[in-house]
Amino acid sequence: MRSKATKERGPRRKFDPLLVFGILFLVAIVLFAIFGPLVRSWMLRTPGQPLDSVYDPVGMPFLSAGGKYVLGTDDIGRDLMARLAAGARISLFVGFLVQIISLSVGVTVGVLGEFAPRWVAVPLMRLTDGMFAFPDILLAILIIGVIGPGLVPVIVALSITAWPSVARLVKTYVASLKDREYVIASKATGASTFYLVTRHVLPQLWNILLAVSMIEVAGTILAESSLSFLGIGVQAPTPSWGGMINAARGNLNSYPMLLFWPCIILSLTIFALNFVGDGLRAALDPKGQ
Amino acid sequence: MRLTKAILIRLLFGLLSLLFISFVIFVAQAFSKGDAATMIAGEKATPQQVQQLRHQMGLDRPWPVRYVEFVANAAHGEFGSSYYGTHEPVRDTLARTLPLTLNISILAILLSAAVGIGLGTLAAVFRNGFPDRSVLTLSTLGVTVPNFVLAPTLVYLVALKIHQVPVDWNPTDLASFGMFRSLLLPVLILAARPMALLTRLTRASMIDTLQQEFIRTAVAKGVPPLRLIFGHALRNAILPVITAIGTTFGILLTGSFIIETAFSIPGVGKTTIEAIQRGDTPVIQACVFVTGAMFIVLNTVVDLILPLLDPRIRESQI
Repeated sequence: MRSKATKERGPRRKFDPLLVFGILFLVAIVLFAIFGPLVRSWMLRTPGQPLDSVYDPVGMPFLSAGGKYVLGTDDIGRDLMARLAAGARISLFVGFLVQIISLSVGVTVGVLGEFAPRWVAVPLMRLTDGMFAFPDILLAILIIGVIGPGLVPVIVALSITAWPSVARLVKTYVASLKDREYVIASKATGASTFYLVTRHVLPQLWNILLAVSMIEVAGTILAESSLSFLGIGVQAPTPSWGGMINAARGNLNSYPMLLFWPCIILSLTIFALNFVGDGLRAALDPKGQ
Repeated sequence: MRLTKAILIRLLFGLLSLLFISFVIFVAQAFSKGDAATMIAGEKATPQQVQQLRHQMGLDRPWPVRYVEFVANAAHGEFGSSYYGTHEPVRDTLARTLPLTLNISILAILLSAAVGIGLGTLAAVFRNGFPDRSVLTLSTLGVTVPNFVLAPTLVYLVALKIHQVPVDWNPTDLASFGMFRSLLLPVLILAARPMALLTRLTRASMIDTLQQEFIRTAVAKGVPPLRLIFGHALRNAILPVITAIGTTFGILLTGSFIIETAFSIPGVGKTTIEAIQRGDTPVIQACVFVTGAMFIVLNTVVDLILPLLDPRIRESQI
């Protein structure tokens, strides 16, 4: 099996440095997001006084990197590294939660679009197509315009805009799997539609969905940061990378590092997710391309 | 005859998309915090006064009636007046902000199409060579680096450190050479992502076309290389790219929200964001509708242009 795939695709790359970098960086950023704020608060604690290094000023404003505060402090003296970690928490949380929601909705709609009776399937797929009439972020902005800015509206808005592309992808794959001989054989032996879908069709999809999800999570994190940058996403003082980039523009000339740190960490996260998505797709789906 | 029918169908589809957008916007209104009567009556009004105003404004009529009225008004560019400030009619707000946004978007789409098609062709012709590799690397960066990262970074480097272009938008620049300088960075950053996408697409499409048999025939006939590339290959390869210009326009509109905020350009994008922060429903509705309408109109135009360029589409009626 493997040797055949090798012949078709030319020399098989055994080691994909971008995939490895992506995975390592993602593990690091997840650990940073989970433990970063706790560790910083614990390191900077003062006896007898609880301190939240994310929200409370810990020292003079605009301290440079190095020393007690690893990356220095921001314009009102909050620990930059703790805020970056808390921003990672928000971005990853939004990214993966929205992806879980859009996967559940998208897979359901995509499967229904192929297997449900026409009066269910056709309106569902027309609705899916209709969602593409709107540029994504415009719809998100409209939804936030209705509910008002904040973390929950961002999650709602991005979930609503994210599921149609999953639904369309799933429908395409399900349509091609539906007529495979083993599915027809199973149907002939009397398997129910539910059994067919859960046992024979969906297991074939997890690989490709996992790879696509990584790239979609990158898109969601980007959208969340864009909205926060615009000031209609996660609201201050809750730290988010987009919000930090926006806030840093005020002191750009004197303190560019306040801008560069969130920019670098955000860009690297996006890169890493894309690398992992592409790498997984190449590794898990050798027949594709 | 079939072509006329196809064109009519496409126009009808465009119209339906516009209606879909207007419906979504109308429904969104129903969920927003206070309706127009509550907002206009002010905080001191009694419930009876609000109710009376609501009756006067016709807000207590059934929703299908109000929807038809909403569409009819939207078709005339009437979206009511802002809830705040001088209660400026939204029509005037749009008249003030839309030209600026259109100006920047059109410049950006032209720039990204020209550079994208040029670089994509270059990369495809020198496939796997040095130009190809550098173009691919650049376009990967262009696709992945978000423009709200690019904007402040370039402002820092170009405007603050090299002092070549102004940092912020200056309205007095509009009619002079200064406009070109003020617009340089915004347009460039706005065009970056569509440019990268169009480059990759042109490259893929050109590589595909260059492997086809009619190209081999043309080479065998002794067609000079430049004519081969531009007259034979690019003419065929460019069709999916033109379709994509329509869809990348959506990315560009998204970007215009960010660029206008980042450079303080008083266009539709910045107005929308400010309206959301105030909770100014009529302004939000109008801006979202106008932005969505621009997207639909451009995509319809692109689909109508395609049959003019490709006889195959012309004959098989879209």
